[in-house]
Amino acid sequence: MPPTSVCVCLSLSLPAARQDNLHSMDNHSTHGVFSSKHVNASLAERSHRIKMAAEMGLVRSSRGRHWSRALGRRLLQREGITGCGCKNAALSTSSNVFEDLGVREIEDDAAEIETRVRALQRLVPGGEELGLERLFEETADYIEALQGQVSAMRAMSCLLDGLEREKRMMGK
Amino acid sequence: MEPRGSSGVGSGNSGTYTPEIAESLRFEEEIQSLIDPSFDASSAAGGSFTALLGLPANQAVELLHHPGPGEPPASAATDTLRLPFGCSSTFVERAARFSVFATDDSPASSSGGGLSPGLKAEPPDSDSPPTLPAPAGKPRRPSKRKECEKSKVSRRPRWGFLSRKAVAKKSKSAEENTSAAKPAAEENTSGDKLPYVHVRARRGQATDSHSLAERARREKINARMKLLQELVPGCSKITGTALVLDEIINHVQSLQRQVEFLSMKLAAVNPRIDFSGLDHILSAECGPLAVASGCGGGASDPAMWASDTAASTGGIRRMPAPPQIWHLDVVHPQQSSTVWENNGVAHPHFLLSPATSLVGYDPASSVPLNSNRLKTEL
Repeated sequence: MPPTSVCVCLSLSLPAARQDNLHSMDNHSTHGVFSSKHVNASLAERSHRIKMAAEMGLVRSSRGRHWSRALGRRLLQREGITGCGCKNAALSTSSNVFEDLGVREIEDDAAEIETRVRALQRLVPGGEELGLERLFEETADYIEALQGQVSAMRAMSCLLDGLEREKRMMGK
Repeated sequence: MEPRGSSGVGSGNSGTYTPEIAESLRFEEEIQSLIDPSFDASSAAGGSFTALLGLPANQAVELLHHPGPGEPPASAATDTLRLPFGCSSTFVERAARFSVFATDDSPASSSGGGLSPGLKAEPPDSDSPPTLPAPAGKPRRPSKRKECEKSKVSRRPRWGFLSRKAVAKKSKSAEENTSAAKPAAEENTSGDKLPYVHVRARRGQATDSHSLAERARREKINARMKLLQELVPGCSKITGTALVLDEIINHVQSLQRQVEFLSMKLAAVNPRIDFSGLDHILSAECGPLAVASGCGGGASDPAMWASDTAASTGGIRRMPAPPQIWHLDVVHPQQSSTVWENNGVAHPHFLLSPATSLVGYDPASSVPLNSNRLKTEL
């Protein structure tokens, strides 16, 4: 079972020089690997990028796990297809996984359980090819990694929030 | 009696119970057959097994003495999962005797001895009342095993849907009895372990290693389920596989949504925060990912990061004025808020290591690359 300590990697990029960003390239230029974004890149774009970074963090923190490899593959795929402007996230957050499955009837216990298992397979990256036992293992690890990621991001946002406020106060 | 680590219901080590369980189930059915010649084993939908077990010992004894009209109401079975076998060893002896002879012959006298070597001793489950009178020694074992089996049976969810359709029943023991997915009477007539040869195969069930393997597999699955239940808060109280799975799914979904929400919050809280160079990080990811597949979730390896850095900084230096990318490796996430105070210090819990950047503070390496630049920016 997964180790108790979760290693989380969260990557943020801070513009090297704000002035550069203001005057130089526009939003959608892609010079080679690094396209420096305008400071006022839209919230949605930035949040999407941050989310992808968070998912990368997830992948990196749990290397060697089946779900981690599947998630990494998925991210790479999305990146290759859509570049940096797309809204499709690797972690789909449709509100009802059961809807996606198109299953309406719940006849009896076995079918109920089965629909839920399929839903879980869709939620956990790489779950669709796993058997039940492996699926549960991967789910447990995935849950742990997600919890670590969430708490790291929460701490980060809290931190930065405090920093911003301090700066504002300093400024005044 | 050899002690066996009985850890209760449905957990990982119950694989050892398999032969005994099979045996006890079958021997139970034989009792019923003996009692009531018209008793149809396959129609034990009411849960004859637990029906018998659910009775207090007196009534059970009576039942055996006076083969009455079929099986007692199933409600008796579902009421109590425990079998207070406390009172009589006579019942036990009788049961033992009955089981040895699979025919309708009148129970012979000293046949209990024939049973004993065949039975493996098991301590009763911790939650079943260990009230058997002391020394009927070996003939007591079948009853104990029945108790064990009963509590196991009643709480084990069914995983048969993946292989076969299982019939849903209220009484789990009934499911056990009738479900094709659980050839619960896989049995142990293979006399390699026991000299207990007078058992009859369960109706319509395979009696081969496949069933045993399936049983072991299901035990594994249940063990994993229990672990998941512990992981998800508030799940341990829930009974019922479907509900537990529901909770797990909800938890995973909520965590994913939290990640999304927090990423939006991070974007909002500081407009300068952006992430670029995704391509590069992803491609840098694939190399080490292939190499370090065994790394798991433990503390990250500074050497690995360092090599990653070396590979990527080569690529970065070619680019004009790339943005700084700052990586935070948090070994214990709950302490991540202290990272700022420890910016200049190689805190044991943190590894600030760059993966794709010129800027990074890598405690493992002696050169903090442009760390002063990092500070001034912030």
